[in-house]
Amino acid sequence: MLSLFRCLLYLYPANFRAEFGDEMNAVFREASETAAGVLGRAMFLFREFFGLLGGAIQERLIGTADSPLPALPGRGGMRAGFRFPKATAALMAVILAGVLLAIAKARSVEASMAMPNSGPETIAPGAMLILVLALACLVAAAGWGMLFALGRSGIHRLAKTRVPETRN
Amino acid sequence: MQELPLTEPVFLILLSLAERPRHGYSILKDVEETSGGRVVLSTGTLYGALRRLLADRLIERFEEEDSPRERRAYRLTSAGRRNLQLEIGRLKHLARVANLRVARKEL
Repeated sequence: MLSLFRCLLYLYPANFRAEFGDEMNAVFREASETAAGVLGRAMFLFREFFGLLGGAIQERLIGTADSPLPALPGRGGMRAGFRFPKATAALMAVILAGVLLAIAKARSVEASMAMPNSGPETIAPGAMLILVLALACLVAAAGWGMLFALGRSGIHRLAKTRVPETRN
Repeated sequence: MQELPLTEPVFLILLSLAERPRHGYSILKDVEETSGGRVVLSTGTLYGALRRLLADRLIERFEEEDSPRERRAYRLTSAGRRNLQLEIGRLKHLARVANLRVARKEL
């Protein structure tokens, strides 16, 4: 469970992880040792998972603007030139996979239409469940990618921009 | 400076540090005890709040001798204590007004 928690910590910005990651691991370990019973343990995991997810989204969106934490070299510092964000590449790969899947599905529908005797294919409930789960993962990954890209773009800092007063 | 009113988790975190410096797990347990088990913070919520309180300079890291990196303690700054006192004053005033109104209604 601790290794899953460590993996989920990667949802946080790198400087947050560097500053609080070890402490958070230690606190999670201590807290998980005191969670008793099946229900207590389930509640604990549920709370920790959503707390971590909510915290990571908050840190990605608003946390870095007023952070007292030092920026890690090459991550949050000033950049000389344009750098293609990795999150955008991942997002584009997900979109490409979706387009390829849609093309494949369209071809199978076209083939079934060409042969009128072969009726529409029925999907087994298990396969349907896997399909729905895969789709949910895809949507979650795309959403996370968008939030990550927005966070990296620094759009949240616009709200804190000070406009100099104009003299009359 | 954290704006008043403080959220309940933030108020309870500051309250737990008012007595003495504490590390993360100790804060979690104290918040749970003080609130009578009503407020149970997750690790993510706690460290998000601690980061904001550090940014607002209401708390600071407390370096203990021989304390490992994953068990660092936090303590209130003077600004944090002042903020907490302001919030307690606000709550006292609210409770006084509420008591007066309820008592007047009972007469």
